[in-house]
Order: sequence, then structure tokens, then C-alpha cells
Amino acid sequence: MINDNEIQVARDCIRIALRNGADAVRVSLNKCVSDSVSTLNGEVDKVSHSADRSLYIYIFADGRYGTFSTNRLELDELENFIVNAVKMVGMLGEDPCRRLPDRSRMEEGARTGMELGLFDERYLSIDTDSRLEAAARLSMYDKATPAGCRLISEECEYTDSYDDTFLIDSQGFEGRHCETTFSAFAEMTIEDPEGNKYSGFWWENTPFYDKLNIENIAATALDNAIRQIGPKHRRGGKYRMVVDRNCATRLVSPLFTALNASSIQQKMSFLDGSRGQRIFSEGLTIMDLARTPGKSGSRLYDTEGVATKDAPVIEKGIVCRYFVNTCMSGKTGLEPTIEDISRPCLMPYVKGDDLACAEKEVSLKDILKLCGNGIYVTGFNGGNCNPVTGDFSYGVEGFAFRGGRIIHPVREMLITGNMKELWKNLVAAGSDARECARWQIPTLAFEDVSFSA
Amino acid sequence: METFFHFETMNTRQYYLDIFKVTREELEKVTSLSLGRGGDYCDFYFENTTFFNLLLKDGTVSSGGFHTDYGVGIRVLKGERTGYAYTESTDINDMIQAAKAASAIACSGGESRSYSPVKIESLDLYPVRSNWREIPADAFLPFLKLLETKVFQADNRIVKVIVRLSNSVSDVLMYNSLGELTFDTRPMGSVTVTAVFSQGGKTENKTAARSFRTGAEFIGEDLADELAKEVVKGIDERFEAVRPKGGQMSVVMGAGASGILLHEAMGHAFEADFNRKGQSIFAGKIGQRVCPAGINVVDDGTVMYNRGSGNFDDEGVPGQKTYMVTDGILTSYLHDRISASWFGTASTGNGRRENFRYNPIPRMRATYMESGNSEPEAIIGSVSKGIFVNEFSNGQVKIGEGDFTFFVKSGFLIENGRLTAPVKDINIIGNGPQALADIVAVGNDLKIDNGTWTCGKEQSVPVSCGMPTVLVSNLTVGGE
Repeated sequence: MINDNEIQVARDCIRIALRNGADAVRVSLNKCVSDSVSTLNGEVDKVSHSADRSLYIYIFADGRYGTFSTNRLELDELENFIVNAVKMVGMLGEDPCRRLPDRSRMEEGARTGMELGLFDERYLSIDTDSRLEAAARLSMYDKATPAGCRLISEECEYTDSYDDTFLIDSQGFEGRHCETTFSAFAEMTIEDPEGNKYSGFWWENTPFYDKLNIENIAATALDNAIRQIGPKHRRGGKYRMVVDRNCATRLVSPLFTALNASSIQQKMSFLDGSRGQRIFSEGLTIMDLARTPGKSGSRLYDTEGVATKDAPVIEKGIVCRYFVNTCMSGKTGLEPTIEDISRPCLMPYVKGDDLACAEKEVSLKDILKLCGNGIYVTGFNGGNCNPVTGDFSYGVEGFAFRGGRIIHPVREMLITGNMKELWKNLVAAGSDARECARWQIPTLAFEDVSFSA
Repeated sequence: METFFHFETMNTRQYYLDIFKVTREELEKVTSLSLGRGGDYCDFYFENTTFFNLLLKDGTVSSGGFHTDYGVGIRVLKGERTGYAYTESTDINDMIQAAKAASAIACSGGESRSYSPVKIESLDLYPVRSNWREIPADAFLPFLKLLETKVFQADNRIVKVIVRLSNSVSDVLMYNSLGELTFDTRPMGSVTVTAVFSQGGKTENKTAARSFRTGAEFIGEDLADELAKEVVKGIDERFEAVRPKGGQMSVVMGAGASGILLHEAMGHAFEADFNRKGQSIFAGKIGQRVCPAGINVVDDGTVMYNRGSGNFDDEGVPGQKTYMVTDGILTSYLHDRISASWFGTASTGNGRRENFRYNPIPRMRATYMESGNSEPEAIIGSVSKGIFVNEFSNGQVKIGEGDFTFFVKSGFLIENGRLTAPVKDINIIGNGPQALADIVAVGNDLKIDNGTWTCGKEQSVPVSCGMPTVLVSNLTVGGE
């Protein structure tokens, strides 16, 4: 999709910036085409087409740095834009840590953008009719007869998109990443005989058209709505908490934020000084498997062009890696790594069990049985985590379970605690991360979690 | 028959046509094409936005940039159904391609609906004395340094100060198949300061922000004083604060930012798209009592310089002040043109979008509760055991169920009518209709919070919120 002329425009931007006083330049050219068809109650509700383009220019001049972007790619407009950009950089304060990465750390093998196998040729043959047909297949509005309640609305959406990114800098790096995405989503809203409404949703997402299984998405969304009927209030207290794989990223992302050198340098990290220390349960191992072909989230290089690496971030509870970009390396003295996590994979674990064999399967059912009694969280509703202390408070919804079996839905509950303490209390991690997710986070279980209700 | 509306002069209209390099004839031609497959209505949203930002960190303004976003979104409606496409060029051929893509919605059949013209009024809610676009970056550097210095001077426990200044100016031209042409230039200026404090081995951070639709006259020593004072206010309590014991209790919402309760508990559920689809917990409840008598809740797009205000919404409907609840009775949803047509009423001017890449949907503006009669001190004094909350960061709601949460950064326990131990980092959860019904006192001290509130329903749009001191008799507070 990015054509030769546009690649030349990116190269010209480098040339123009250098000619006007920049010492070094990085340019990122991004294009994305996306089409979607939405249905409401089985009928087409919205058809949309988008074609985005953006050009980001990172200018390093005289020890100073600025970031600029535009979606106007006509060369005469760009020339004026870049001249003004370099001029503005000259007005800023010096920051000697701003520089391009060491050339030896940069990716050499991302020439065509197809290396990771994330582009599906089928994308090129999809037309409006096939999108309408996919959206129609998603809907089960005419067939839905939920027992004991009334279907209020069904919303479905089919989307396909193609992203193409070309990254170039003034020290000779060029990299490209192409990726197709096909996704389907359904949300069902029902009403029980007392007039209470409940919504449930489900989705699938894949780089490959033929792997998009849309047949049961609406039915799963409906099941997710129905199973919420009749929530009961639970007494607050300490419970074992099982967190569904569809929402478990909420508890993982604060760890990555805290492991970023930018947070550490600004004294806004509860994991400052943690590298090499056992901070969490020995059952917690998170790998960054960035270079796995054909998997959503994989990438060969980060936003600076630095080559990614398959490596542990946390291994058996020990923090192995901070995320340190070139600038933060200069400011903190930490060895540079990559800018951020790409494709985290949280490994299976059962407390007291030997899971050395990575293939051993641990399902939600296994984990509920292991935990016996507690709260099974299927969704988060608001909340926050203090980046400095790691103290968190989240609204949650889900189900109470007893003897390993779900007994009734719960809502209007809150969990509070501290991230370090929570992850010390990890008792199980499943092997059931969803194939479609960029972050491979499975079902998790923790003990001694404070619930308020 | 085409009618052009404008709020200043014909020359001004031409100014906007020139920015986007379009003519009346071209607009008519693309309109014809857009409706050529049987659409009922179409509109165009041209946008040219420039963003600018500076970041002071580690004592120097060492990061900054500017950004340009330009394009046109074309929407075709058939009944309530939407076809939408956009192009990042306003070349006539690119617009024709986008129009053809958007017009495909009409091929899917279905009933038609008529869309009525709106009365165009001239508003001038954000007059600008100093245009952001005309000021070089270095003119702002002294302000950032001044603010940093004032913050450091305000408390000797501060170890880091981060200051962000951002502004944007959007030129917007809107045209539709009813012949309405409207235009606007929307400024926005925001300053955020974060201070990191260290005391006895413990670290705390605190942020203060101001954001207005205003020009660069917003920047100055008064603003620096105000922000420096606010960012250190309450830090002693923050170091002492603990998590309270959780559970259900009375909650006194401090005046100002606690308007997030209205935004989450009520505002979203009153947005008419959710009600048109029957998904909202308030669907079908117009005319019914939702709060105790005496309570008025407003969504207002006409507050001067407010972050959520607009001379027009993003469908060319003039900014309005909408009473959602009058004397405790639900009186209006928040409408865009689609929902207004469906409900057979007039748009309330709530059709908003993040930018030209998105179709407009009903969104809030500045949402607040009008003042009541109670003295704030008396409200606190009436609570034997509860919690007072006065700093917030975010919130969320489940539209169908009505369950909402908001995150409290700081507050105090209330014991026997007095504020006692400080508390922090807690979530409060409740159910919208129940929380509204449980309001037992409303203070006489309405305050609009002018922080950088941004609502994230599908798209991000700037909003604000406000509240007088309010007592809710029963909410769930997260705690140890």
C-alpha cells in the first residue's frame, strides 16, 4: 500500500531536514485502510471506509529534539513543514540524551514488511459484498430466543484492515512492517422479567481471513449476557480471585508501565530498583515473544528501529528486564533494551505443581477446582493503579464460585490491594490465553484478595 | 434550494472555503453523488487542526512538536443507518470516491426518514485575543520555567516537576444536504503540572491542570500561581492517607470534580443513541422521576471558554444548554440529528466527534448539577459515619446495568460530622438510578472543574463536569 513515491517522500524528508540544520532524523510513514460493516438487530446499520496516512518526523538538532507529524504529504507542503520543525527544535532546551540508537542494535531483516507473515493476500480480494455477507453471518437476531428474558438489541460488526509502516532514519536504517487484521464483534443486550438489563459481548481477531471464525460470536455474547441475570451481593472480605483470560491484561499492564525506564527515571515506578530481585511469586514468568511469525503483536523492531528479542521480562518472580529506549538509557545509565513490551506471554503455573513441561494444559475449570471457593472476575469496571506505590482499586464483576463450581453472578464489587502483594499471591496461571490476543495472558488466580461490596 | 448560514461575514465563509480549497459548486456536486443511491441526508465535516505541545522535564523544555491533521468526513444517512468515509485530501476526485463509499449504505434498503433543518444562531463562546498559531514556541518557554520554579518553591519535598503545555486550533466547515453551511474555529489550551514529592522514603505525586477553549492569553503568571498552589495543596494529607475500611456508607461529594458522578452515573445513560436502541437503563423513562425533587442536571455546551463548549456541535447544530433532569424529573436525552429524528424532537446539539475520521454520535459537553440550598458544612455535619471525596481521576459505566465506578485520589473519613483521617486511592461503585435516588442533600456551591477531562466513548472528546457539594446516602467504597 505504501508505494515507491511515498517511500521517496520519506527519504526526501530526511534530506530536507538535514539540509535545514538537523543533525539526525527519523521518519515514520504509516498508512492504514480499514472497512467495517455494523448491524443493529440483524440489519445493516453502518458501513464505513477509512484510509489513513500519517508522517511522523523526529528531528535531532544541536543536542535538541522535537517530534512532528502531518497527514499532508505533498512535497511543497512538507518542505515548509520541516523547515518550521527544525526551527522550532532550535528553540528548545538541550537534551544530550536524545540521539538515534546505536546502529548495531537496529533490525536488519525487515525489508519488505512481510517477514513475520502477518499479511494475508486474501485481504486484496475482499469486497463490499463479502463484508456485508460476513456481517450478516455474524447476526443471530432472528434465531435468538433467550429463555426467560427478552432480547433488547443485538449489535454486530465485521472489520478488516491493512496497516503498513515504513521507518527510516538518517544513519541508513530502513524497516517495514505490514499486517492485516480481520475482526468480528457482537454485543447482546437482554432484559429480565423484572426489567433489569444485562449486556454481554464477544469477539474474534486474527491476521488471517480464513481463521476468522464468526459463527458463534453472537451466541457467545448472548450467553455472556444471560449468565449475568440474578446477581447477588456478596459480603466484603478476603477471597481467592480467579481472573478470566479476557480481562487479565488489566492486572498485567501496570507491571510493564512500572518496568519502563521512563517511569523509573521520573520516580513514578513501584518497581524502581527491582531488576535482578525476586519481587513476585516464583510462579510468575512473562516472556516477550516478539519475533514469533504469524502471531498478532509480533514485530521485528520497536519505534526506534531497535531489533526486538525473544527474552524473559520476569522469570520465576525475578525481574529480568526494564524497557529502556536510547534516551532513557542516557538519562538513567541503564543498558538500552527496547522501548516497550511487544507480545508478552505469561507462562502456565500451578502452585505446588511441577509445570516444567510447557505443554501441560491448565484450564479455567482446573483453576476453579484448584481454588475451590472465591470470586471469578470476568470484567473490570473502572479503577486505577497508583504508579508510584502500586496500590490499586478496581471495580469488578463476575461470579461467586464454591467447590470449583460457579454459583451466582456478583456485581458492584471492588478489589483493592498492592500490585507487588497481589502478584506474590499468584496461585495459578492457565495455559488458555486466547489465540486472537496480542498479549498472551491466560486465566489467573490469586489468594487473599480484598473485596469490598 | 441552498441556504448558507454564517455568524460573521461572507468573507469569513469564504475564508473557510479557501482553507479547504472547495467551492459551492463542488459541495453541491458531491452532495448529489452522495445521495445518488437513495440516501435521505448527507453531510460533510471539513477539519484543519494544528496541535502544538511542549514538555518541561528535568529542568529543561527539551521536548516539543507540532502536528497537522487535515481532511473531510462524508456521512450518508438512510433512515437511522450510517454510511461513512473520509479522505485526507479535499481534492474533488478524492471526495467523490469517499462519497461513493459512504453512499453504499443506501443500497442496503430499509425505510427512509426525513431530517429537518435547524435554526442557526450566532454564538461566540470563545473569542480569542491571542491566536496560538501566531506565537512562536520560544514565547512559551519562560512560562514553563516560571511554573516549574513556583512549584519547587511551594514545597521543599518536591523532587521532580513535569509541565506540559499543549494547544490546538481547529478550523471546521460543515455542509449538509439541507443546504446548511456552518463554520467555526475552535481553540483549546491546556497546561498540566505534575509534582513528585519525597518524604521519609515515601514518594507521592500530584497533578493539577487547566484546560479551556481560549487563546494564548490564557498563559500567564496568574495561571502559574494558581496551578502551583493547587498542586501542593493536600500533599500532607496524601502522605498520611490510608485506605479506609471498605463497605457501604454515606458519601459526600466535594464541589467540582465530583461531577464525574453525573457524567458516569447519569450522562452516558441519557445519551440518546443508547436509548434509541433500548440499551440504556433510562430507556423509556422520559417524564419519570429519577432524582429527588429540587434537583436539576444540565449538559451545557454554552459555558464561555469551557472545554466542552461549541458554537456548533459537529453536525452544525448550534451549542445549547440542555436540562436532562428538571426538579428531579427526566426531561430530555442528549440528541444528535439521528436520534432527534427518531424520537421526533429537535437535536440538543450533542452530535460530537473526535475528528473528521469519525461519524458524530451523542456526547456530553459540560455536565453539572445546579446548586441547591444546603450549606456544605452542614452537609458534612449531618453525616455520622462516611467519607468525603474531593479529587478524582477517572470513571466508567455499564450502560445497560447502570453500574458505575469512579476513582478517588483523595478525601477524608467523616466521623460524627467532622472530617478526620485522610484517605486515598479508592474506588467508589454504585448503580446510577439508585445513586441518584439516594441523593439527600445538595449544596449551594456549584463549581465547574476545568481540568483536562476527556470522555472516551468510542472516540475521545473534551468535556468538563461540575457539582455542588452533594450527599449520597449509600455507595460502596473500596477499602481494606
